[in-house]
Amino acid sequence: MRARMIKLLTQRPIIIAVLAALAFQTAGAQSHDSNANASAKPMAAGAANSATGSSASDVAKTLKTAAEAVGLARWSGVGGQRLPEVDVVNTMEVWASGTTYSPSPSSKSGEPWQPFKTDYHVALGYNPPAMRVEMTRSPSGASAQGSAVPLHTIEVVRDTYAWDESEIGAGLVPGKGTATPAMAAAKNRFLQLWILPYGVIKAALAAGDKTKVSTENGATVITFPLSGPLAGVMVKATLDAQNEVAKVETRCDNPALADLVTETEYSGYADHGEIATDVISPGRIVRKQGGHPVLDIQVKMWDANNPYLVFPVPENVKKAAAN
Amino acid sequence: MMRHFSRSIVTAALLCLLPTVIFAQNNGGPRMDHENTLPPTPTGPTPMAPDGHPDLTGLWNGLADNLLGVPNQMHNVGIEVGPDSTRDIHSGVQIATWPLQNRKRQNNEQNERAATLLRRMGSNRPIYKPQYWQRVKDFDANSNEEDPSNNCMPAGVPRMGVPSYIAQTPKYLIFIYPGQGGLIATATSYRMIPTDGRQHTNLEDLDGTWNGEAIGHWEGDTMVVDTIGFNSTSWFDQLGGYFHSENMHVIERFHRDGNTLTWTATIEDPDVLLEPWTTTPRVALLNPDPKAVLLESLPCSERDFAHVVTKEHH
Repeated sequence: MRARMIKLLTQRPIIIAVLAALAFQTAGAQSHDSNANASAKPMAAGAANSATGSSASDVAKTLKTAAEAVGLARWSGVGGQRLPEVDVVNTMEVWASGTTYSPSPSSKSGEPWQPFKTDYHVALGYNPPAMRVEMTRSPSGASAQGSAVPLHTIEVVRDTYAWDESEIGAGLVPGKGTATPAMAAAKNRFLQLWILPYGVIKAALAAGDKTKVSTENGATVITFPLSGPLAGVMVKATLDAQNEVAKVETRCDNPALADLVTETEYSGYADHGEIATDVISPGRIVRKQGGHPVLDIQVKMWDANNPYLVFPVPENVKKAAAN
Repeated sequence: MMRHFSRSIVTAALLCLLPTVIFAQNNGGPRMDHENTLPPTPTGPTPMAPDGHPDLTGLWNGLADNLLGVPNQMHNVGIEVGPDSTRDIHSGVQIATWPLQNRKRQNNEQNERAATLLRRMGSNRPIYKPQYWQRVKDFDANSNEEDPSNNCMPAGVPRMGVPSYIAQTPKYLIFIYPGQGGLIATATSYRMIPTDGRQHTNLEDLDGTWNGEAIGHWEGDTMVVDTIGFNSTSWFDQLGGYFHSENMHVIERFHRDGNTLTWTATIEDPDVLLEPWTTTPRVALLNPDPKAVLLESLPCSERDFAHVVTKEHH
């Protein structure tokens, strides 16, 4: 009996490997507002070089391949030999270091931004959508002279709320730090969540038939509109030969959203987690925003095991948002 | 070398589980390899006790989700996986799903890692005070060594979840939770819960225990079991490193609808939690075999921590 079961268990993956049409049931990647931006125009970038072949089947196959490439589409054989694959990525925590760039108060238009040596710590989640970015920045290069005090910031966004924390979890219990509402920064902070490789795949799935697939210079390109607070932003994601998200560009026609024009390159994919999960994450992230370099970091650790990360909104932030 | 050794452990463990899979199947339950994790739909009438309340008596392991038919552990994750759609029960968010026939092949090691992710992907998480966030995360990351239910210790209330067997008498409820052998090593537990209208002992006069002091009462057709007097050793959910203080107060609700029993637990612990937390409802199915009995638990086997070579965990 046991031998029969072993045989059955070992054969099942072969039996189920027969391919059939894909069906996707997805939403919730931007659950706070499911109204996709129906009027968003496709990005012009690269269009002349595109060979479009964007049937629903092409899109579905491309997204599934990309999801599997980073370990997002998975099934559990433990008690569920006949269960489908699902998107298993929710919470993640990232530790990285490198350089970030910000304009100095005296910067003139067109001048390079000031570099900072940066320790970068991110906690994020997609259900609910939330992100906490903690940075400790010290001026580097020529600008470092005479300014030795590192700048420590904690920027948080969740649902429609954005705030700054004086310490992790500030403003939730009396006597433990302060939470300062920062609603104006919400879009920019959310964008950082959705242009991560996992955010791109989730949002592309959520965009449904608005998501298109094409080929540029031999590379697969996925384009789709973001929705909810980021309505009006178009995303163009380029996959590498391993079907990992290698480059993400965001564009928007609305001049008021000019800050949301970004270009991010991801490389060095591996399982960077302390606990092996087979979720593959980038080892290096390089980003430009509004044409300026803003981020160039090397990942030290990327825990993708859905760790305990929570983002409760402080009461004073809720009150500020309501006013 | 280490990775190979880890794989060997996983393989050996799965082979150890095979007899129990067969065991559960022979217990009148359905196959263990479900096509979905959707809760069962209630059928049939709800039997009533002589006092006019629903009769909760029965063997509630009809789903045979786990070793020895312990009910419904898969629903503990808060995710309903259907054939072509998946839902986070707490938030209602739909989760991307790719049908079975397109599934990518995984080996046993990959299965285990995927299971680790699936068990932790739900959105319904207790909100601890910020000073405890790191501790919860560390406990979970190191659960192979930190989990207090390892090495044949009780799971405790409310982590034990839905009892496999309930006997309802006019003045008591008897709950039985079979111990789980193999990798999930917890001890067999029972609870004798008075429903005679008595009051709790003063908390200061109670010695904290794994199961605490439980008293039941009816609120309409729902049995409410109110428990205080815990030790601070146990975790209050199957995973996650969810520790608690001795001031934990647990309110469990049992509602029978035909052949289903819906269970939730609300945890109040103002010492460590920012707010009370309620588990995602679990729906257990009555064993369809009227002659079914609760079989003997497998012996609890202690884990060999000396050979735990990774932090991959349950």
